[in-house]
Formats: sequence, structure tokens, C-alpha cells
Amino acid sequence: MSVQVGDAIPPWTMASVSAERMRTMAALLRDPNPLHWDRDAVAALPLGLGRRTINQGPLGLAYIINMLHSWSGAGSVRRIKMQFPQVVLDDDCVIAKGIVRHIDDSSGTLLAECDVWLEHAKRGKLLLGSATVAL
Amino acid sequence: MSHPIPPAEQIAALVGHRFPGGQYCIEHWENVLLTGCTGTELLPDGMVHPVALFHVPILGSGTSIAEMFALGQAESDLSILIESYDWEMFAPLQEQICYDISAAITAADRRSNDAGNLYDRIQFCFEMHSQGELCARSTITWHYTRNTL
Repeated sequence: MSVQVGDAIPPWTMASVSAERMRTMAALLRDPNPLHWDRDAVAALPLGLGRRTINQGPLGLAYIINMLHSWSGAGSVRRIKMQFPQVVLDDDCVIAKGIVRHIDDSSGTLLAECDVWLEHAKRGKLLLGSATVAL
Repeated sequence: MSHPIPPAEQIAALVGHRFPGGQYCIEHWENVLLTGCTGTELLPDGMVHPVALFHVPILGSGTSIAEMFALGQAESDLSILIESYDWEMFAPLQEQICYDISAAITAADRRSNDAGNLYDRIQFCFEMHSQGELCARSTITWHYTRNTL
């Protein structure tokens, strides 16, 4: 694979974030937070989100990892750091995107430093961060 | 309803708190369910989806999300905001490997946001080793909001 600074990473789409997957994830994580499984609890918050559960942060991050795996292969992600300026809600369509910012071969392994984010058509970037990927 | 705010000194004193530590072995069934939740296919050769880097270190170090909320004296489960998750992978995680996991609180302090709302910023660092080699590090930074949500 030939990669250059400025290359866009092929996007990865989650067509509809699933409330049922959030419930499974909550059980696996032993996460007691009702934001992930109780729509009424979300509606009661002063955030204007309506009756939609909030996706677990690690799941949004995982969509970006899925994009990176599709691009550079399973196990290629060396580091990923994400911030969460907006929530991802059930039934959202979100698209993981990224761009190569720097390529480093000083360690003997070709590494791409990338800006990565999770985008919603109307609300913009919901998650944003950086990733180091072995090429 | 106004919640009492813990003294800032109690929050700052969390730095250096160590969790018991322990082991965690990721079973095939767990990897199947986790990977399915992310909307993709199982990775090859028993490789675990990196999404495991959130809960495996937490549970394997002998703590829980509920205890992490409680240590920071969270007002409720609804009062926590994520600042960042930082996952470093030095080797792909594998099913059926028992990882040795250690964890500590590495930062804790009181801050206020641009709107003047107080919150406590607490950072947890988890490390996963296999046969003495560092395989992964997960750093979780949460904001414990105070009378905001």
C-alpha cells in the first residue's frame, strides 16, 4: 500500500447505531449507567436529546478502529486517542473518517500518524482524535 | 436538587490510588459479542477487537465502572462526562490469553469549564502484561460534573 501525507482514509459507515447493541455492550462492560439503556433517563437530562439512548464511548471509538482495520489491516492500530465533544445516539448514521498527517519510519516500522473523527451529517464531528497506524 | 460537592483535597488525594490488580482472560464468546457490537466481523486468528481495551483492564484490575464513579464521589451515573480515551497497543490482544493487569489513578484535580461550572478531572491508567511484556495501556480521563447535569 502506498500512503502519502494528505491521503484520506476510506470512510467506514455505521448506518444506524443500535440501541440493542448498546444494551449488550452495557452488560459486557458491567456499566450501570442508564444513559445507555434507558431512553427516559436520557430524556430527563437538560440536554435536549429526546428519548434516544447514548452510545458507549468505546463503541464510537471502535467504529474508527474498524475504519483503520479496513484500510491497513487487523491489528495495525498502535495507538488511538479520542475526545468526545458530542454524543452518539441510537439510530444515528455516523461515518468514521480520517486523513494521514505524518509518516514516520524511524522505528523500523512504517507508521502513519492520522487525524480521525466520527461524523454526523447534521451535527458534524461527534468524536475526534488521533491514531498511529502501522502500514 | 443541589448535590454536596466533595472537598477538592479529597479529590486530589486520589492520585496514587492503586487498584488490587489481577488477571483477565478474554473468552471467544466475549470477543464475538464485543466485535458484533462494533458492527464488524470477527478479526482473524483469535485476535480480540481493541474495543476490549475499555472494560477488560477495568474488570481485570479488580475494579468496576461503578467503583470508579464512587471513588470520584460522582453525583450519579448520569453526571460523568468523557474527556478522552487513550489506547496504546504494543501487541494485538488475543483470545484465551490471561493478561496481568495493574491500575492506578494518575491525576485528579478540580477545575471549572468556560461556563464556570465546577468539575473534577480524574485520570485512570491501566496496563496489561503477558509473560512480563507490556501489551497494552489504557488511559481513561473522566469529568465528574458538579451540579451541572
